[in-house]
Amino acid sequence: MNHVDEIKIDQPALSFEKSPESDEEHRKRLEIEELIAQSEHHNIPLNTLQKLALTPYGLVNDNLRRILWPQLAGVDVNTLERAPTLGELQNHPEYNQVVLDVNRSLKRFPPGIPYEQRIALQDQLTVLILRVIKKYPNLRYYQGYHDVAVTFLLVAGEEVAYAIMEQLSTTHFSECMQETMEATQRRLMFIWPVVNFENPELYQFLQRSTVGTLFALPWYLTWFGHSLNSYKAVVRLYDYFLASKMYTPIFVTAAILLHRSSEIFKEDCDMASVHCLLSRLPEDLPFEDLLQTSSMLYDKYSLTVIEKEVEVLILKEKEQRIAEEKMLLERRKKLTRSASTNRSYSIGHWLPNLLKSRSLLVTTAVSIVVGVCAYYYKNQYLAPGIS
Amino acid sequence: MTARNPQTLMALPNEENFDFLFKIVLIGDCGTGKTCIVDRFKTGNYIERHGNTIGVDFSMKTIAVETKQIKLQIWDTAGQERFRTITQSYYRSANGVLIVYDITKRSSFSNLQKWIEEVRRYTASNVLIILIGNKCDMETEREVDFEEARQMCQYIPEILFVMETSAKENMNVEDAFRCLATELKRQHDANNVEAVDENTITLGQGKPLKSCSSSCNLT
Repeated sequence: MNHVDEIKIDQPALSFEKSPESDEEHRKRLEIEELIAQSEHHNIPLNTLQKLALTPYGLVNDNLRRILWPQLAGVDVNTLERAPTLGELQNHPEYNQVVLDVNRSLKRFPPGIPYEQRIALQDQLTVLILRVIKKYPNLRYYQGYHDVAVTFLLVAGEEVAYAIMEQLSTTHFSECMQETMEATQRRLMFIWPVVNFENPELYQFLQRSTVGTLFALPWYLTWFGHSLNSYKAVVRLYDYFLASKMYTPIFVTAAILLHRSSEIFKEDCDMASVHCLLSRLPEDLPFEDLLQTSSMLYDKYSLTVIEKEVEVLILKEKEQRIAEEKMLLERRKKLTRSASTNRSYSIGHWLPNLLKSRSLLVTTAVSIVVGVCAYYYKNQYLAPGIS
Repeated sequence: MTARNPQTLMALPNEENFDFLFKIVLIGDCGTGKTCIVDRFKTGNYIERHGNTIGVDFSMKTIAVETKQIKLQIWDTAGQERFRTITQSYYRSANGVLIVYDITKRSSFSNLQKWIEEVRRYTASNVLIILIGNKCDMETEREVDFEEARQMCQYIPEILFVMETSAKENMNVEDAFRCLATELKRQHDANNVEAVDENTITLGQGKPLKSCSSSCNLT
């Protein structure tokens, strides 16, 4: 940690640039501020609050988010527990992993933040994460969890962020925090039926490329916090997800794929090219439109229908895999056989070898024929003469 | 000789500016510097304190080996154990694997056996492995001697060679990829001699399970 000041961070860096408030944002901010002023203890009715978070510009700015995010997440700011110290958590088995990741999360802190302040925040982040997984031993930390936690920490402060993370870890992220990522992998496949219903041609293309769903894994695990380069976009998405049902990031992912379809079709249809294209989110994604599409898709398709489609898809993939494995095995067998017969070829003596073995074969065959003939003649002609 | 895709042995289109395409996968414990190695190799830059890799990152670079252009498709995987079931599907069609450990962290060296098991289980039998001890600029914090790594390699025949690198000081990074590429090309050339004699048999690994036949069209 001696050279912290020389640290270069990920390129491109996360942009914290504050753009001037647009007219629509201004209008929405005034609307929200008025609602807060009118309400008792700043508590806006939940469905009104959810609507504000879902509709364009969400909760507009971090000052409002600081007040409204705990409400959206269902956290009571009056009953917060005091945070333990880092020292109390140092024996946790995940301590080293969490510290490793937190130390690497520089990109998520505003540039120019004083060194001491950043170190203090990073320690708070470590404590926050370890507190959750200590309290819920069945929940496992994953790389990316800290990307979610840091977003809440920077906006809402240590104690509120912990309460929000506790809430989300037992709901939205509980599946991701299972012992293995299998459930998450399966959940990501929910993207495919949605894309297929909306744009079968795109679905066929993506399936043909065998791109899989890994490009969307960081999006899903971090609510896009790991992958976006604009701070403003990250917090806007967090407004949306906090107000949404579980699995909503699946529908945002589908909306992104549908939005990028023409760009995707131009790419070569193979895993590497398509993965490469999809995993890099363009800087200029029209998130407000995409979120509206996502909400529309969520209402349009029931999770039960999607789940059935996914089951069929998984079965199909399994059959295909078994068939391919069988083919591969047969090919390998053939290969070993040919390798053993081909060995002489590569040495370059195959011609004399072949002649040698052929002449040997001819000699043997001729001797056998001569032998049989001799025996036959002996029996047929010579035997009566002798006797 | 016609340039061929190592996966399918299909002749590559002439307008492509590479002769060979190989898939390389980087694996190893968290924080050993896999992403820094890839970045140093790819861009020539060093970025200290990368964000962690979630799932798999992908990059490409073309290098010249013995007058041939070799395109390397590099898959940089997440080190956390939880992601392993997911990254396994990316090993399958790999031509080469770089297993990375951190010379200043004993545990990353002790875990090598586990990583080698992974490779044995999930890759083709002729995959080439090289072992990389990264962060060799941090000599004062060294916990693993190079000799120890060399000795270990003698017991693991799949490992082609071991090399110490420093992504920070730009030591041996390019060499590691270059040696692997050269060896892959050599292996491929040897296979091709046999392929001429046995037209009916597709050499190499056939079609990779999770890849598709047009992987030669990368631009």
